[in-house]
Amino acid sequence: MPEKPDLDRYPELAERWNRRNFIKSAAAGTALMALGGAFVRLAADDLTKAARAATRPDGRSKLPPGQRVLEFLRPMGGDAGDGKSETFKLRVHGLVKHPFEVDYDNLLKLPQVEKIADVHCVTGWSMLDGKWKGVQIKKLAEVAEIKPEARFVILEAANGFTANIPLKEAFADNALITYRLNGKPFALDHGAPVRGLIPDLYFWKSSKWLTGVKFVKDDQPGFWETRGYHNHADPWKEERYG
Amino acid sequence: MVEVKKRWRAWLRALHRDFGYAAIGFTVIYAVSGIAQNHIEDWGDVSYKATERTFSIPAIADSVPDAVAVKTVADAAGLGVPQSSTRAGDELRLEYGDGVKVTAIGMTVTVQTRTRRAFIGIANWLHTARHKKAWKYLSDAFAVLLLYLAFSGIFMIKGKLGLKWRGTILISAGFAVPVLYVALAGGPDGQRDTDAIAKAAAPRAKSTPPEALTPAPTLTTPPSEATPTIDANPAGSAVLVPLPPDE
Repeated sequence: MPEKPDLDRYPELAERWNRRNFIKSAAAGTALMALGGAFVRLAADDLTKAARAATRPDGRSKLPPGQRVLEFLRPMGGDAGDGKSETFKLRVHGLVKHPFEVDYDNLLKLPQVEKIADVHCVTGWSMLDGKWKGVQIKKLAEVAEIKPEARFVILEAANGFTANIPLKEAFADNALITYRLNGKPFALDHGAPVRGLIPDLYFWKSSKWLTGVKFVKDDQPGFWETRGYHNHADPWKEERYG
Repeated sequence: MVEVKKRWRAWLRALHRDFGYAAIGFTVIYAVSGIAQNHIEDWGDVSYKATERTFSIPAIADSVPDAVAVKTVADAAGLGVPQSSTRAGDELRLEYGDGVKVTAIGMTVTVQTRTRRAFIGIANWLHTARHKKAWKYLSDAFAVLLLYLAFSGIFMIKGKLGLKWRGTILISAGFAVPVLYVALAGGPDGQRDTDAIAKAAAPRAKSTPPEALTPAPTLTTPPSEATPTIDANPAGSAVLVPLPPDE
């Protein structure tokens, strides 16, 4: 640490001395903040530790790598729809024998399921053991009579958003068109009135503000998949970016 | 010649100053919303303030007329007549304007509100140029302005405080930070914890064939070509509106 000069005797040094001290303070403050942030990240909370130690029925870790547990869904933005059940319409179309459109009232008259599922956001948080209610995507395929050549599902949402999902994940038992989580309706930030749920892929694949389910033969990368995110998005393989 | 050089640098400084003034508004918008976007995993989308409260009411029987059910729930929530309402399954949804929504499911009523935050809500909206027409080009212009500010800054001052000493050191430091970060972090693929990935996925029992060779999963109930009976109708009691096939 250099000795402070006699600024009364050498006033021409004052500006340079003050600037040097300012830069030092700024650098120290930035370093402190960065270290503090890193420490908070490294000190994993109990929920995250417990989830890391747990195993799913399929043998995989309950918590995919690089994730931490939250007890709620975090709003992540997006171009929201109007959120109204009154105007909601879901189009089921593409490679199906009987394409159809269903409104909110009749969506709730389709065979319903309630599934416990975890969701994993690509930004690093996961919400575990949510109770989701809705209609299985494979049930919609059954009702519309999917054609054998279909290989992918495109979840279509408000303002042109799309997400592509291989049938393997879209036809999982807990892959749903869902309108309720833990007994409550979704807030607009979370996709009200109806959103997708594809638990085994990163959560952006679970399109909010759903407007359509389209069955296609060839893969059609969607909104985020054409903007640098991974086309498949398996959280256990950390398929975050393309 | 000396005069020409002096004038050239003076023009550079004058433009740098004026463009700097002009850039302040854009800079504040992009900087503040950029910090919000950087921390979205911690803070979520801060554009909106959302609230939710729940309370219980006596169950409303299916036989209660819609208008009575709506009034019961609206009164319990302390709100007036809704703009619209939907009664579906075990739900009664009341939609109000200005982001207020009330949903009764059985005996539980949930009141959800959502309002855009004044500054950050607009700044975040502006930050992503998608679905905006003129703003896309205005923000392009701002980016060009920033490039001018960066490059003109290099040549504004000559001598030891310019490129001969301080300028070169600080420019190098500015480039070194991202270069070092990428080198130390191993680039985009280096962020992945390969050991953790292997461990998380390891216990999977059987190997799966490549995606292209994976047969389409079969449905639990195969689509029937026969005329469905009421019990066999996979759509339950839902009324579906037929659509023409996609082209």
